[in-house]
Amino acid sequence: MAVASLCSVYFRYMQPLAARGCSAEQIQIWADVLAQAVTGELIGALNYTTLAELYQEPSEKREALEHAQGERGHAASFTAAGKTLGIDVMVNLEAQYWRRIRSSFLSRAKAGDLVGCILAQEVMLESFAVASYGQVAEAAPGELGSTFARIAEEEGEHVDHAIKMLRAERARDPHRFDTTVHETHEEIMTTLAQMISPKNQDCGCSLCAGICVKSSLSQVGVRLSDIRGASLHRYLRSLDEIGVPGESSLIWVAQLPV
Amino acid sequence: MPQIDFARADFALIAHFESWDRAAAAISLLRGPGRPPVSLEDIRDILPWIPPRTSSRVTVGSSQGHRVHGVYIDSFIPPDRLDRRFLRENLVRVREAAQYAIREGARIVTLGGFSSILLEGKTDLLPSHPETAFTTGNTLTAALIVRGVERALALAGRDLGESNILIIGASGDVGSGCARCLAPRVKQLLLCARNPDRLSKLASEFPSLGSRVTADTDLRRLSQKANVVICAASMPASDLLLDALPQGSIVCDAGYPKNLAAHFAPRECPIFYGGLGQASGGIKLDPDLLGIVYPYSLSNLTHGCLLEGIVLAMERRFESFSQSRGLITPQRVEEIWHMAQKHGIGLPPLFNGEGSTEEHILRLRQKVLR
Repeated sequence: MAVASLCSVYFRYMQPLAARGCSAEQIQIWADVLAQAVTGELIGALNYTTLAELYQEPSEKREALEHAQGERGHAASFTAAGKTLGIDVMVNLEAQYWRRIRSSFLSRAKAGDLVGCILAQEVMLESFAVASYGQVAEAAPGELGSTFARIAEEEGEHVDHAIKMLRAERARDPHRFDTTVHETHEEIMTTLAQMISPKNQDCGCSLCAGICVKSSLSQVGVRLSDIRGASLHRYLRSLDEIGVPGESSLIWVAQLPV
Repeated sequence: MPQIDFARADFALIAHFESWDRAAAAISLLRGPGRPPVSLEDIRDILPWIPPRTSSRVTVGSSQGHRVHGVYIDSFIPPDRLDRRFLRENLVRVREAAQYAIREGARIVTLGGFSSILLEGKTDLLPSHPETAFTTGNTLTAALIVRGVERALALAGRDLGESNILIIGASGDVGSGCARCLAPRVKQLLLCARNPDRLSKLASEFPSLGSRVTADTDLRRLSQKANVVICAASMPASDLLLDALPQGSIVCDAGYPKNLAAHFAPRECPIFYGGLGQASGGIKLDPDLLGIVYPYSLSNLTHGCLLEGIVLAMERRFESFSQSRGLITPQRVEEIWHMAQKHGIGLPPLFNGEGSTEEHILRLRQKVLR
């Protein structure tokens, strides 16, 4: 990071986080992490709004809209947590990977694939959110850490909600269901895997203020490989609970980019 | 998607990778051609996060004509944590794998390799289900080891009754089972283990053999007296054994992971991998990970412990045949061996990582005769 840029970040953010022993570089790392979280939440809000349009039952439509509101609430919480630390969180819904995820979701929605949309948002993206927020929560200072922990727990409820519904859906036609999971996995999980790949250290996601944050995460006690591992773990467990055969999900995960 | 399909598993085999190289080979196979290989570093990072799950569907043929179906469940215990230091976290994994087996509807579940520790000592930690029985598979493992030793000695033209047999890991379930089978038949039984109390307890089982049984925690001292060795446990320092063995001693490596280099040249000691069996009716895995778990020239090979579950499924005897530690008797060994033989499951030709051990033994025999 250029010296001038570092100075600007330092003078803008130093007081609140510096009091907690964070350096200017660490402040910038948390700002970049928050940018990912807030953007992801807002993409989630858009996806839930789209889901509301797909549902037939008024109660389901209402619930999806509540989830959308919940995601916006999470984004607001992260933004607020950033503010208390002196961070103005960047948002970019056109950021490369998030745009691709939203576009995959929309193409499923356009095809009327409700199950694929639920899988994408409520199993794949939410499993990723639960696991990655959980990892970040362990390292993040003060209120930022507790915000990540609280939201991880709330996102977990979304996953649990979807699992019940999807288990019943799978029981109707397991083969067709598993094919949909695989197709959705190929789009969504592949994008997520590329986004968090520790090898892909200049990913051009356009959410980091300076250089890609991945190589710096260890400075704040976050291991990218743990985020990847925890996300896969949570995702596989979700598929297990839905009833997807372990040998299928194992192959799909083994085939993801690293 | 995998092709073998069946409504309910007769059996489940709970296993784990014995080395990172094999884990890497399995991941490579699952990725399929056309995708870049995953580095060992990435595999070390990812594998510990994978929850226990079925990795293959299995079909095994009986020589009686019928087939049984099951699942191969990997507990994904990292190969560098196959150690008592990681007992607590490994128990959690094995327990989850056992739960997974129940979910698959398996009626008999074998806890293979390191997983069997759970059933040897802490059965109360296993999930219970009225229609699922668990076995360590250690009785058939012991049977295959004993048969292997008998075959090796027959090939060498030597008599079991004139042999001094050293059992390393003698106080373990498999080791003590082998000791009970061999004690009345050998010239000298040399028992070695790390725990002196367990060792003397085992030795006290053979009061009528008197000085024909020696128990000692000092491996080097016992090695000097042996001409047949059974490694029933993984050893921290195999050099201790190999340096001291008399020339021409026969070694059965039944450790998991394997302990010894395939060939110990200075002492001309033939080494064969013990405790493995072969199913003449065929073993088919989908995806086919068998060649990765057993990268040898012989086909239809698997560990005796896993085969025990398969044999029990073939016999429709869904019972906890091997449980706890120290209960393997010669009678139980004969019983499971008889059942295995009935279905065409038996001893493969003796081999190790470099190929046939039988040729090595025969060459040694010729040399002695000359």
